[in-house]
This record gives sequence, C-alpha cells and structure tokens, in this order.
Amino acid sequence: MSVLLLTQAALMPFIAAADTPSSPPEPPRIVTLYQGATDSAVALGLTPIGVVDSWLEKPMYRYLRDALDSVEHVGLETQPNLEKIAWLNPDLVIASDFRHARIAPLLEAIAPTVSAPTVFNFKTTLNMVANATGREAQANELLEQWDDRVADFRQQIAAKLSSEWPQKVAVVRFKSDHVRIYTSGFAGSILDELGFNQPDTLQSQSWGMKLSSTENIPVLDADALFILLEPDDPAIADNYQHWASHPLWQQLSAVQSGRVFEVEPVSWMMGGGILAANAMLDDLYSHYGLLQPEAAPHQACLPHASGRGEPASC
Amino acid sequence: MLNSTAAKSIGLLLGVLVALGAFFASVMLGTTEISLSSLYGSLVHYDPTNIAHIILLTERLPRAVIAALVGASLAIAGALMQTMTRNPLASPGILGINAGAMFFVVVAVSLLPLHTPAHYVWAALLGALVAAILVVVLSRGRHGELSPLRVVLAGVAVTAMFVSFSQGLLVIDQQSFESVLYWLAGSVSGRDLSLVAPLLPLFGGALLLSALLVRHANALLLGDDMVTGLGMQATTIKLLLGLIVIVLAGSAVALAGMIGFVGLIVPHMARGVFGIDHRWLLPACALLGACLLLLADLGSRFLMPPQEIPVGVMTALIGTPFFIYLARRKMAGQ
Amino acid sequence: MRTDATLTLNSAAKSDSNRLLRRLLILSLLLLASAGLSLYLGSFPTPPLQVLNALAAPQSSDIAFIIWELRLPRITLAILVGAALAIAGAILQSIVRNPLASPDVIGITSGAALAAVVFLSLLSSTLSIHWLPVAAMLGALVSALLVVSLAWKNGVSPSRMVLVGIGLAAAMGAGTTLLIVISDDSAAMTAYVWLTGSLYAAQWDDVWSLLPWLVVAVPISLLFARHADAMALGDSVAEGLGVAIVRSRLVLLACSVALAGAAVAFAGGLSFVGLIAPHLAARLVGRNMARLVPTSALVGALIVLYADLLGRVAFLPKDLPAGIFVAGIGAPFFVYLLHRSRARF
Repeated sequence: MSVLLLTQAALMPFIAAADTPSSPPEPPRIVTLYQGATDSAVALGLTPIGVVDSWLEKPMYRYLRDALDSVEHVGLETQPNLEKIAWLNPDLVIASDFRHARIAPLLEAIAPTVSAPTVFNFKTTLNMVANATGREAQANELLEQWDDRVADFRQQIAAKLSSEWPQKVAVVRFKSDHVRIYTSGFAGSILDELGFNQPDTLQSQSWGMKLSSTENIPVLDADALFILLEPDDPAIADNYQHWASHPLWQQLSAVQSGRVFEVEPVSWMMGGGILAANAMLDDLYSHYGLLQPEAAPHQACLPHASGRGEPASC
Repeated sequence: MLNSTAAKSIGLLLGVLVALGAFFASVMLGTTEISLSSLYGSLVHYDPTNIAHIILLTERLPRAVIAALVGASLAIAGALMQTMTRNPLASPGILGINAGAMFFVVVAVSLLPLHTPAHYVWAALLGALVAAILVVVLSRGRHGELSPLRVVLAGVAVTAMFVSFSQGLLVIDQQSFESVLYWLAGSVSGRDLSLVAPLLPLFGGALLLSALLVRHANALLLGDDMVTGLGMQATTIKLLLGLIVIVLAGSAVALAGMIGFVGLIVPHMARGVFGIDHRWLLPACALLGACLLLLADLGSRFLMPPQEIPVGVMTALIGTPFFIYLARRKMAGQ
Repeated sequence: MRTDATLTLNSAAKSDSNRLLRRLLILSLLLLASAGLSLYLGSFPTPPLQVLNALAAPQSSDIAFIIWELRLPRITLAILVGAALAIAGAILQSIVRNPLASPDVIGITSGAALAAVVFLSLLSSTLSIHWLPVAAMLGALVSALLVVSLAWKNGVSPSRMVLVGIGLAAAMGAGTTLLIVISDDSAAMTAYVWLTGSLYAAQWDDVWSLLPWLVVAVPISLLFARHADAMALGDSVAEGLGVAIVRSRLVLLACSVALAGAAVAFAGGLSFVGLIAPHLAARLVGRNMARLVPTSALVGALIVLYADLLGRVAFLPKDLPAGIFVAGIGAPFFVYLLHRSRARF
C-alpha cells in the first residue's frame, strides 16, 4: 500500500501536468512611463509593476483604477523617479522620446527600453507595447475593432448629416482665466481619422492657441464645439458661464445649431491610449445621436460624458 | 534732459496729451471694429443688446482704465523705491512685493479653493503686504534705522524665498500651473471694473500721500540728515514712502499680475528727461508708466492675433530699446 | 621698533591666513561629508557598507548602478554647478561694485534661459535634447556680448553695464514668459522646470562637459584676483596701481560668463546661488578675491548639494527641482547673517 502511495505521489506532478494546460509564461515586468502606455498595457491585459501618475483624478484615472489597484507609482510622466524604477527591477520599460529623450541612456542601463516618438499616437503606442510583450494578436484584434467602429461611425454620420458633413469641429478647453483650443494631439488626430475638419480660423496653428479675451470668441466659430471642463474646479465652471453668456457666443454657429457638447478631458486628452480613444468615440456616438453596434466588452467600464465620470458596471 | 521749469511744464503737458491719446487708442482699436458713434452711444445711451456697446464697457474700457492705473502706480512705486534705497537696481519687486503676491496667489490656487481673479486680488494684496513687512522687519539695523543696502539685501532674500516656494507648488501641480500662468505673465484683460472699485481708495490714498511727500523725497536723495531739516525723522519718511510703495505696487500686482518692467525701467526713463526732482519726476513717471502700459496692451492685441500676448511681455519689448538708448546717453557725461 | 612692527604684521598676516586655511578646510570637510550623506540617501537609503562596496565595484549590483550612474554624477554635477555659479557671482559683484550683482541681473542667465526655452518650445522636435546645454551656453554668450557691446563707450563702466544688463534681462525675461505662455502644456511645464533649476537626469557626460569650463576659468580668475581687488577700490585708484582696467574687466567678465553660462546650461535657472554664496563667503573670509573665490566655490557647492538632496528625498516619490530649495536654504542663512551683522551696515 505504501508503495502504491509513493508511486502515486511520484506520479502526481505528471498527472497534474497532464490535466492542466501548460501555464502561460510569466507576464513581463513592465514599467510604463506615460499615460498612453499605461492605457495600452491595461488594454492588452497586462498589469505593469510601475506606472507614472495621472494628470487628473490622481493618483490614477478612475477608469484604470481597478486594473492598477496595487501597482507602484514611479513619479511624474515628465520626471519619473529613476531610482524607484531601478529598484523595481523591470524587464521592460516603455517610454517616449518626446518626454524621456534625456534619460534614455539611463533607462537603457536599467532595462531594455522601447520608446515611442510622441505620446498621443495611441496606435503607435499600442503596437509598440504589443510587440515588446508578445501580444501582437490582442493588439491586432483591438485595432481591428477600432477600425470597424471608425468605419461604422463615418458611414452613420455621413448618412445622418448628409449635406452638413463633414463638420468643422473645435476642441476647446476652459481654464480659470483663459480658454485653450487644441488643433492637433490626441483628440485632433482621432477627429481627423473620423473625417472631421478644422475650423477655418485655426488652419495654421501648431498645437492650438490660448485666448484670454471674450472679444475673440468668433475665433471659435465651427459647426460643433466640444468643451472640455474639469468637473471639480468651480472657477473653470464660472469662466465657462462667463464666456457662454456673452452675446458673441450666442452668435457662434455651433451654439445656434445646438451642437455644443461638454465632454471629459480624461478621455479626450489625458488618457492617451486605446481605451480612452474608444471612450471618446462613445461620446461622439452619443452626442450625434447615432446608434452603436453592440458594445464591445472593454467599453463598458469607461466614463461617459453623461455619467460624469462614474463608471458603468463592468 | 529738460532744464527749465517752462520746458518741464511743456513736457508734462505733452505727456498728458500722449497719455490721453494712448487711452483713446486702446479703447478704440482691437479685433472688433468700434466706431466713434458706438463709443458715444455706449457712454450715453447704453444698449445692452448692442455688441459694440458691450465690448466697450466690459472689455475695452476696463482694460484701458486698469492699464493706466497700474502703469502709473508701478512707475511711481519704482521711482520711490529707487530713491529710498539709492540703488538704480531697485524696483518694487525688490521689496518682495511681486514675490509675496505670487506666493499667496499660488497657495490660493493650488491649496485653497480660491480660483477667480476676484479672489486672486485679495490674496495677492495680502501676500504683498506680508512680504514687505517681512523685509522691513528683517532690515532694521541695530538702532532701528533702515539702511538702503540692508533693505535691498533683505528684499532679495525674501523674494527668492517666496519665488522658490511658489515654484515648488507650481512644479508639482500642472493644473495650478496652467490656471495661474496668465496671471503670472501679467494681464489686464478679463477684469471687470467692479474688481477695481474696492482698490480705488488704496490707489487714491497712496497717490495723494506721495504728492504730499515730494519735498521729503527730494531731501532724502541728499542724505538722511537732510530730511530732519524738513521736520521729520528719516526713518519715518522711509516708512511712509515704503507704505506708499507697498500699497501702490501691491494693488497693481493684485489687479494685473506680475508686470515687472515698468517699476524698474520707467523711473530711469523719466529721470533722463525730467531730472531727479520728485515734483516733476513723480507726475512724469505716472504719465510715462500709464502710456507704456496702454500702448503695450494695445500692441499685445496686434502682435499675434487672435492670441493676446501678456501685457508684461509687451511692456518689456517696447520699453527696452528706449531704455538702452537712455542708458547709453545718460552715462556719456560720466 | 621696526622689527617688532614687522614681526607683529607678519604674525598677524600669518594668523590671518591660518584662519583662512582653517575655514577652507572645515568647508571642504563639510562638503565631503555632505557628499557622503547624499550618496547614502535616496529613494531608499543604502547602508553605508553597501555604498562603499558599490563604490569599489561599479558593475556589481543594482545598488552599484544607482550609486554610480544615478547618484554620483548628480552629486558631482551639483558640486561643480554650485562652485561655478558662486565664483561667477563673486567676480561679478566685484567688477560691478554692487552687492546685488549676480549672473541673473546682468542678463547672462536670462540669455541662457531664453535660448533654452526657445529650444524647448520650438526646436525640441527637430533637434535632439542633447543640444539643449549648447543652446543655453550660446544664449549666455550672445547676451553677454550684447550687454558689453551695448554698454561700450570707450570702455565699459560698471554702472552702465549694470543698467544695460538689467534692461536686457528684463526684455529676455519677457521673451521667455511669452514663449511659455503660448506653448503647449508640456513644453510650458518643461521650460518652467528648467527655469526653476534642476539636476534631474544628471549624467557623467554632463560632468565631463562642465569640468573643462571650471578648469580653464577658475585659474584665470585667480590670476586676475589682484586686479579685481584694485578695481574694487575705484577706477582711478586701480589705474594708479597699474591695472589695465579695460582688459582686466573684460577678462574677468569673460570668466564669469563662461562659468555662469556653463553651469546654467546644465542645471537650468539655479543662478540665485551666484548671488547668495559670495555674500555668505564674504562673511567668512572678507572680500579679497583670492580668498573669496575658493570660499564662494565651497559655499556654493554646499548650497546646491543640499538643495538637490532635499529635492530628491524630502518629497518622495516626487523629485523636486533643486532650484526650489536653493533659496529655501540660502535665503534664511542670508537673513540670519544680516541680523548678526547689524553693526556692519
């Protein structure tokens, strides 16, 4: 009997191995040094061992908080704490030339580093993270879903607006004593891809511009305005009221056609990755009153403008 | 330089005309076309639905008034500072006023929920006062006298401290940084006249006091003991002048943010033309400072339309060539 | 009698230089100890034994990497930057004869700052970030040349140079502010951090690039120390003593510009050290240039070292720019000394 038991014990590992599928390889220990990279990592199902602080909703955006519950923070995106990164002993560092060119040699000495040229191109970031961690299949799937959504949106909006399409759209962000208009960057590139155009007044600007005088409201003239407001800042809300009650504002074509939409800066500017991009697209669908194809799973957890940042149940 | 009383009077008169002209231009010119009849209409038969009227009364007029007031105040404050410390490098900023105001505003924005320009104003004024008091306290000598050198050195130390604490708060909080940026750079737009109203008594009182003290200020230039001949202690005079500087510069900074060039450079320019006698110097500073800021505000609308350049930037860009020219000429005789 | 008097004078001079040497020695030891402390502290304090091990064996472990590639270059750069700025300030205060003088006020650091901000706002996408120090250095040089040429009228009088300098500094500061205001968010913040003065991401390359400037400029300044002392007494006195005023002034100015420009190029707007350190040093050893230069260097190095240390460890995990603490450390000292020396003014 003991011999049987012993044999059985000796055979256990093999039996166990035969029953279970081979366990997946250890996920790589990655540190993401910019918002878009963090977003992309989570989208690909990875949990980094170190992330940088978020710009709003500190220390991490609500839509990523659950996924990044016990993850270490390594400082600011603009100035990551190199010692902390070294201590975490990562296998891979995800950085951006735009932010981290100066510390690139130090990062390379800590761990293999991949670097994107900018921070706002979410497709580049997604592919880069996927290639470096062997998750190309997931990335392709995500990007295909994105392309499908984009195609669907373009088709629906052209059908719905017919002669009014393509629309000129301005992305406007209110601060407490001035207003910023963004022409390029994350939101700009997505709007571009969806077929929207720049307003005439902003054709030649580099990243956008800042306005401080209500006299210049006509610069914002566009077919639709997307207003980025920060929900916890009363001064910004006040300034918005001040501008919105000016008679020149009432004369804007977007105001007159009722196409002034308030949206979340987290999805439209800060998040920087594919999850945020999908949330932004959700906003656009809902604001233009278009019906979405059945919601893909990853979208259900994201903030929608109507929900004011409260995540729907996943 | 003008030497006779007649020449100086004519000079001042010209100054007044130029200042009025600048005021007028600042009100009339801008992105929106305003006609003379609109200007008349907005003042006499205000029509709340007329866009030109609205722009005139909510944007143009307040801007011009604030620019003139702030420009004049900063220039006078600068002249008095330079007299008190007998140092050409002195400016209201040296007393820590700008830095104190900046710090309190940054604290208000990043740590407390005070965000609107109306709130900034009081935070800034408080900050200016605290910093200046700190400087005065730190620079009192053994017998309570205020030597110019000590004032200047104490001012530099206090300024550096407040600036670096502000920088600390701004660098860690990008949102505060972006909120405060325009104010830091100096701005006269977006401010209602109702913001100015509570500060008017301060401006008025300080200007009046400075008019009363011109002879004492002149005496101070000759030395502390000369002042006693006029019946007041040198320390008292310095404290009074200091108070004027604090009120004028503090209110100016509170209203328009950090406009640094005017208080330092305009007194030099005025001195170059009108001499060091405060009876001519102070009015000249007021006119020149007002002109400079009015023209700067005008220029800031047209340099990179439709973006507006912060007015503090424009004053430096306009004023520097003049100043360098004067610096070279003035030194020629020495 | 004569011999007695000479003996007294000699012994006075000797005890004077003894006192100087003592003070220099204490400062140097303090600097060394502070550097050691700085090596020990960081995101996670490393036990001294491990620090020593790491120093001995550069490739051995993670700790060795942190010590050799992160902390040591940063500490060294802090020391060099502090020394360079302090010496630059000492020189300037001497030739300008104004205690408010510093590389800031004369427009040198404003020029470097403007160049750096232009680079960060407009050129950072076209040129590699490694050209930033070069841009800053060029800015310092160009603005110094501008100041000298605009102030030139049969020589350079200190007061004229000061006036022109502050005018240019104000204008360049305005340009810097403008660029920050109209830039996009990230460029604006990067520029602002640069202006504050920071030693983040200091690497050995930076140290080797800064060192030559010190090696060349410091000996030259010491050579001209006597001339500086003579000119501090007034131009006519100096001429009487046989000093070629114009030439000496230009040489000393060049040294100051080189030191300040190079330091600012690598550490950003840390230039307040150039104002404070010479004052603190002068309290210790007087205004004689030959003594002031090394003392200022040590004081400046200490200030920047501690400022950077505070920035690194006081607000973990944040790494705050050293510039914030330079004034925080220097100014109170300054004020304390102002109080102590009430009788002197």
